Amino acid sequence: MKSMEDLERLKEETLQDIRLRASSGSPRIVVGMGTCGIAAGARETMLAIIDEIKVRRKFDVTISETGCIGLCAKEPIVEVHIPGQPKVVYGNVDPSRGRQIVVSHIVNLKPIDQWILNVEDNS
Amino acid sequence: MSLHLLDLLQNSANAGARNVQVSVVEDEQSDLLEITVSDDGKGMSSSEQASALDPFCTSSSHKKVGLGLSLAAQAASMAGGSVFIESNQSKGTRVTVRYRLSHPDRQPLGDIAATLVSFMAGNPLIDVVFEYNGPKDVFRLDTKQIRTGGEGQLAFILKFEEKLRGGLSSAGYRPDRGGLFHEINGRS
Repeated sequence: MKSMEDLERLKEETLQDIRLRASSGSPRIVVGMGTCGIAAGARETMLAIIDEIKVRRKFDVTISETGCIGLCAKEPIVEVHIPGQPKVVYGNVDPSRGRQIVVSHIVNLKPIDQWILNVEDNS
Repeated sequence: MSLHLLDLLQNSANAGARNVQVSVVEDEQSDLLEITVSDDGKGMSSSEQASALDPFCTSSSHKKVGLGLSLAAQAASMAGGSVFIESNQSKGTRVTVRYRLSHPDRQPLGDIAATLVSFMAGNPLIDVVFEYNGPKDVFRLDTKQIRTGGEGQLAFILKFEEKLRGGLSSAGYRPDRGGLFHEINGRS
């Protein structure tokens, strides 16, 4: 801790933690946006997901992003976290798949098995 | 080209930036297209700066390649331009990419609004000041000014997108306008 700036930064980081915890009760979608994801079309997938969430009026969904996770051939990669359920990782998510994931998995709680790369059970 | 911009923005986010300034200048008189991203992230040491454009150099510990900046540099050098990096380890980094506006191989700008919207969606805590100096007008948008604090993430993103697209089009922004080669092929 050196200066007021450090203190401000610590405050921001703590607030961010609190916000993340506060939103832990709602579904979260994470889009891979590393160089490989961007090259594979993650930007369009992200926009399609935002639009579908708007259309379905699921305003409690949190959207965020992550970097390259080492599966560049499967990009765009999208993770879906639903509280109390295992984390599901989807691969090759083009905009149309992104929309279907929102409808089927987030709205109707039915994961789309054939696009799943991995399921991580944290519980 | 807007995808290269997204890549540069991701670099800023990974460097822990809180404030990012993006400027896109189309200067027809001096035949220059300049994209600048400056952030208040952790910055780079002089040796990191020296190897930043090398595709086999990265600050990441779990991968062996870093393609973001090197791909942007390649696109710039193909269009008679180059990349400049100024960085200070405590203050942040400024990356400037210059292209010759009329160069036949200059890529079209692409959907800059899509780039900024997807970046804001993934990094809601970063504040962005965007300035576009277009053929018709100058457009400036500061995310600090459109945040109200109480709104949800989605409401903020939608408001941001609406203002961005409106401002860009009235400043004369044309996403598909590129060098001769790209105009002929209709690529974006």
